[in-house]
Amino acid sequence: MRLNMLKRALRAGMLCVALAAPAGAQWSTVSEQYYLPASHNWVFRREHPVADRLFNAFDYGHAILYEVFWARPSAPVSVLERDEYEFITRRLLVNPPRLPLEEAAIAPNYSRLAPEAKAMFEWAHLLHRQIYDVLADNRLGEAERDREVARLVSYYRSRPDLAFSTKPKGMSLMEGQPYSLAFRKKYPKFNGLIWAYHWLQVGLYDALLTGKTPDERSTLITAAVARFREMLHDAPRTMPYVMPMTPGVAPVFTQRYPDAAAIFDNLHSMHDVISDILLSDAVPRDKKRAEILLAASRYRDDTTEVITSSEWLGMAAAMGVENQGGPVVGVLTTPPKPTVELGAVMQHDSTRKMDEHAAHRMPADTVARLADTLARAPDDAAARERLVNALFRLLDDPEVQRRVAADSALRRSLHDLLPLIPEEHRDHYRMLVRMPPPSAPRPGGI
Amino acid sequence: MRITLAAPCARGLTVFCLLPFLAIPGTVQGQTDYFNTDRGRPLHVQDAITIEQYAFELQAAPIRWERTPGSFVVWSLEPEIAYGVLPRTQLEIGLPLYVTDGIGDGTRKGVGAVHLSVIHALNVETLGLPALGVHAALSIPAGDFGPRRTYGTLGALVTRTTSLGRIHLNADATGGPAVAPSEPDANPGAAELSRWTLGVAADRTMPLRSLLFGAEVVAAQPFQDDSEVEWRAAAGVRWQVNPYWAFDAGLGRSFGDEHEWSLTFGAARSFGLIRFIPGGRR
Repeated sequence: MRLNMLKRALRAGMLCVALAAPAGAQWSTVSEQYYLPASHNWVFRREHPVADRLFNAFDYGHAILYEVFWARPSAPVSVLERDEYEFITRRLLVNPPRLPLEEAAIAPNYSRLAPEAKAMFEWAHLLHRQIYDVLADNRLGEAERDREVARLVSYYRSRPDLAFSTKPKGMSLMEGQPYSLAFRKKYPKFNGLIWAYHWLQVGLYDALLTGKTPDERSTLITAAVARFREMLHDAPRTMPYVMPMTPGVAPVFTQRYPDAAAIFDNLHSMHDVISDILLSDAVPRDKKRAEILLAASRYRDDTTEVITSSEWLGMAAAMGVENQGGPVVGVLTTPPKPTVELGAVMQHDSTRKMDEHAAHRMPADTVARLADTLARAPDDAAARERLVNALFRLLDDPEVQRRVAADSALRRSLHDLLPLIPEEHRDHYRMLVRMPPPSAPRPGGI
Repeated sequence: MRITLAAPCARGLTVFCLLPFLAIPGTVQGQTDYFNTDRGRPLHVQDAITIEQYAFELQAAPIRWERTPGSFVVWSLEPEIAYGVLPRTQLEIGLPLYVTDGIGDGTRKGVGAVHLSVIHALNVETLGLPALGVHAALSIPAGDFGPRRTYGTLGALVTRTTSLGRIHLNADATGGPAVAPSEPDANPGAAELSRWTLGVAADRTMPLRSLLFGAEVVAAQPFQDDSEVEWRAAAGVRWQVNPYWAFDAGLGRSFGDEHEWSLTFGAARSFGLIRFIPGGRR
């Protein structure tokens, strides 16, 4: 009798454990938090309504993508590549919503699969918007802007369960996992659309920072939005060919607010990672939530795949801004011509080098384009400084130096830039571009 | 039917209703509050989701009109403010104001019970588990239209999302002495309370328009002895008009002897106050 009771109790206990484990894995207590109240709240919406409304539409693109991947795993490719793409580009982006969208209503199934990841995205999107507000607020001086952005980043970081790391991460998190690249290979148009979103989202920071007056800022934002719309004309050919990185597209912002720039690069990488996890057969359906949570924790911590700041900047430069959609602030009057294949992949053993195909051409082509741009835009001191810095970063790469040495035309154009290089850096520059030192004046000579 | 308000009362109400329309320094407004439903705005059944931590939500002009076939008319206004005091936890305080016509002698007006409540969401909905929440409330005597003693209520909230929309289930029970059917006026506020309430609602969102439609059925056991279970049905809409304001409107009907109709309209404004955010000033 007692033995039977014991057996029954044991069975009941085992059943409870078996049921509790999956339930525990489903028990989520992530919580939302209000964003930081400040006088600059909603300034961007007021000052730049066209761009602000576009951002509302962007929320839909991410949400519907995840929802289709999770809720309709056998849906044909045309659901996203044709139907949703056309709806988004012909209707939604033409007449964007007036208000930020509730993602749980667009993606009810995905939102319940990984509410933790959804909350991380929402928290980072709030930071995105609040920094636009700061930079768009014409009442704030430069020091006040810096102080407010620091305050926003600090508030953002006060939620370690939601905040992306401020440390830049290597590409292997995004491109070196078993599930990686599934999305960009199967959905090149929609992937290009997401990258175009990211291009505008980070690029507008440079438009806001580079414009010195309200009118200038509005003009630069209008130009950036026009360039974004241009990307939609002949997708995916006209889209970014690699993931836009903040140091590439918004170098001024990155230099001034490196922590925020790293957060946004990590945010945008994780957007791609979740697409890959949801789509890839390498992750079984019952493991997708766990894989998303694992990826999310890697993007939050300050240890996994962290790269140095110079590696990060070098990686962005090596990828070539022209492959990331081009610069936002008008150093290029025509759309940039990509120099890599659509969806090119970074080599993961060295963040400074591209894959074999790209490594042969990209950095040197980028140098040529930078040199050309620098030669044509010498009046803008800030742009010149940025371009010179980027040029030095590229020229530090031994592979680039080899290419320069082997290309006499490129070498000549780099030599011609010498007058634009600050005096104190010219010796270094001469060495990098293999330029002979200036001849010393003859003693007493004429 | 004619509604009259005494001058001081009218002025007070006007100021209260206009308060949220005025700029409040150091505030920030919400964005998608229409999606987070509140009790009575416009449906009785609410979701198991609380407002964000550190958020305030002011129900600025929640007007309700009820009419029974006997030409009894009740106008009520229950301004309410909620605060996200902890993660997934909100505190609420509300004070209903009533104007009645046809009940007793002519027009009567007064204050109901102070409603103090806390809602805690136990979790966030996942594929395997619905969102679960608990709430506790006190109805504290405050005026002629309130109960004569404090009543406590405990309840549970459940929200389950489907591809078609959300389903919400609310259940609660209130403790305290019953009211004798022969003398409901001896404790008028208690007569408005329910011994228990069970409600189910469904809503569907149009996210690109920031609109939410919902409908509900509620069963309630009145506090009066020997009374029968009342059934009510209602439908309503919530609409986010801009980042600052969400409006709601609803139409309800009770089934049973009274066949009461009700209309409700409200406006909610959510905002944050920097002084209520730890470390926010740094």
